Amino acid sequence: MSEVHHPTSMTVRLIGRVSAICLLVFAIAYGVGGSVIEYSFASDPLGPRVFPAALAVILGLLSVWYWFSPGFAEGFPTGPLLARVLAVPVVMVVAVALFEPAGFAASIFILTLGAAIVFGAPPAKALIGAVGHAALWWFVFSYLLEVYLPAGALFG
Amino acid sequence: MNLEYLWQGFAVALTWQNLLIGFVGCFIGTMVGALPAIGPINGIALLLPIAYTMGLPAESTMILLAAIYCGAEYGGRISSILLNVPGDAGAVMTALDGYPMARQGRAGEALALSGLASFVGGILGSIGLALFAPLLSGLAIGFGPAEYFVLMLFAFATLGSMVGGQPAKTLIGCVLGLMLATVGLDATSGAYRFTFNEPELGDGIEFVVLVIGLFSISEALIILEHQGRGMTVIRELGRMTARMSDVVKSIGTTLRSSVLGFVVGVLPGTGASVSSAIAYTTAKRISDTEGTFGKGDVRGLASPEAANNATACGAFVPMLTLGVPGSGTTAVMLGALMLYNIQPGPMLLVERPEIVGGLVASLFVGNLILLALNLPLVQIFARVLTVPNWLLVPGILVLSIVGVYSAHSSVFSIYLMMSIGLVGWLLRKAGFDMAPIILGFVLGRVMEVNLRNALAISGGELSILFSSTICIVLWCMALLVAILPLYLSRRAKRRIAAKNLAIAE
Repeated sequence: MSEVHHPTSMTVRLIGRVSAICLLVFAIAYGVGGSVIEYSFASDPLGPRVFPAALAVILGLLSVWYWFSPGFAEGFPTGPLLARVLAVPVVMVVAVALFEPAGFAASIFILTLGAAIVFGAPPAKALIGAVGHAALWWFVFSYLLEVYLPAGALFG
Repeated sequence: MNLEYLWQGFAVALTWQNLLIGFVGCFIGTMVGALPAIGPINGIALLLPIAYTMGLPAESTMILLAAIYCGAEYGGRISSILLNVPGDAGAVMTALDGYPMARQGRAGEALALSGLASFVGGILGSIGLALFAPLLSGLAIGFGPAEYFVLMLFAFATLGSMVGGQPAKTLIGCVLGLMLATVGLDATSGAYRFTFNEPELGDGIEFVVLVIGLFSISEALIILEHQGRGMTVIRELGRMTARMSDVVKSIGTTLRSSVLGFVVGVLPGTGASVSSAIAYTTAKRISDTEGTFGKGDVRGLASPEAANNATACGAFVPMLTLGVPGSGTTAVMLGALMLYNIQPGPMLLVERPEIVGGLVASLFVGNLILLALNLPLVQIFARVLTVPNWLLVPGILVLSIVGVYSAHSSVFSIYLMMSIGLVGWLLRKAGFDMAPIILGFVLGRVMEVNLRNALAISGGELSILFSSTICIVLWCMALLVAILPLYLSRRAKRRIAAKNLAIAE
């Protein structure tokens, strides 16, 4: 079932170099962003720009160190497993988009149903699990803990 | 030594509400710890916003979180012994002798003995915390902004040199955390930094959003990747009590490992994974005369368990007295205190003795509860290992979403949490640890404020960072912890190379 690669040293180096470049680009962008912070007064000698600038320089230097010393890395999933991993945030986005309009219980039902299927549950079990989750969490949060959550169109 | 705070603490911890909260925390913590790959940070991250929203007072929230932390250190051993998969990072070494014992039909004995070792480690660690917290607090009262800034540099140096053997990545994690902490309104100048004109980022990235994203969401994706790796739970537990001969045989190792674990826990930035490895290798070097370690030796089982529980208590010392977390989990707990607008540091013991005392007292009570829970109920906790991921992980996702929404009532925060979770997953795949990011984030604002205050006092002169004895001692310690491991590792490599050369010749 698992399709995670155990990376070779070359793959680890590649992951390290790509990550180091990404971090270097981020450091530059952060440094540039920090240099244009607008402020009208500062009650201390440093002001709001210097600390971010120092962090950008440090991250840049560390990225260079990381380039030469990539350490170890886990392999990235490929094929169907990658699709399943990416399906989790998709299911979450759908559930969160419905969170306020459709309500907490309906959103939780969709989230747990989708996630259970992605995690390999047979459809019937996933459906029973989702109904159980929705009922359990609705009871726990709305009645037991009295946490405010949107009821939505279905229960509002 | 003034231990009045401790008696005040027992008065707080022994109220029936806090006893109940402690019991619930211990139970949940043991369950969370028993589940492979879900460690104490996840349990704390998921329950923190709910405790905050329920309006629990700060001391009760800390008691709940501390109980989860200690419970997870107890529970981590269950999957190590029965599954050969550590329940959390502190239980990695437990599997080395625990799993062979289980395969020999002595799983019940291994669980009972490791439960006792955990108890001894937890109690000795709590005693150490009770004694050291006021001492260190007293010393740290003389700290000014410059000393605090250098202290935080020392914490990062410790972390960079001791965690994971990848100092570049650990330090990058710290810097990323510091960068995330700069988002939002700069209180000193009134400037908005890195908010991209998004009003919801005006107050910065919320702690709960970051911690749940980094730990729970990325963890769910990692679990998805790793599921179906052919794990087999050992179901035959055998005798459920420890043999007296084994207890006697392991008592010396247990006591020594508890002390070691506590000392490692006190060092800022190190955690249970480091302490249990040091305790195990020390026990092996001293006691393994017959080559039985790794084959089911009770001393190899007891040493990491005693150490990781003592570390959990030791990690509270720098957090409560200096405001510098001793581990990733205490970094999250530090963030929890900040949610209540409480700034940990030397004045905490003076200003809020009920919080420090309540937490310390709850560790004593919690360890008794955990012993009572873990010896007779271990079979129930072992059943947690059989819950399928398709039922468990959706529950984690629900708690993540509800936790963030209940704390901030904002769908934007949920999307931000999910984005952080995805980035966290990418970083984890590239071999980064999440704890340094949290440490950097929690210390970020305090570090910048202290640097700016120090320079405001000195009129912009950097020499203030080297002006006091405390500063100089902290700089020396930071240099020492940064350089010493590099030197030792090079010396070890040279020795191995020389040995290989001698064999080849």
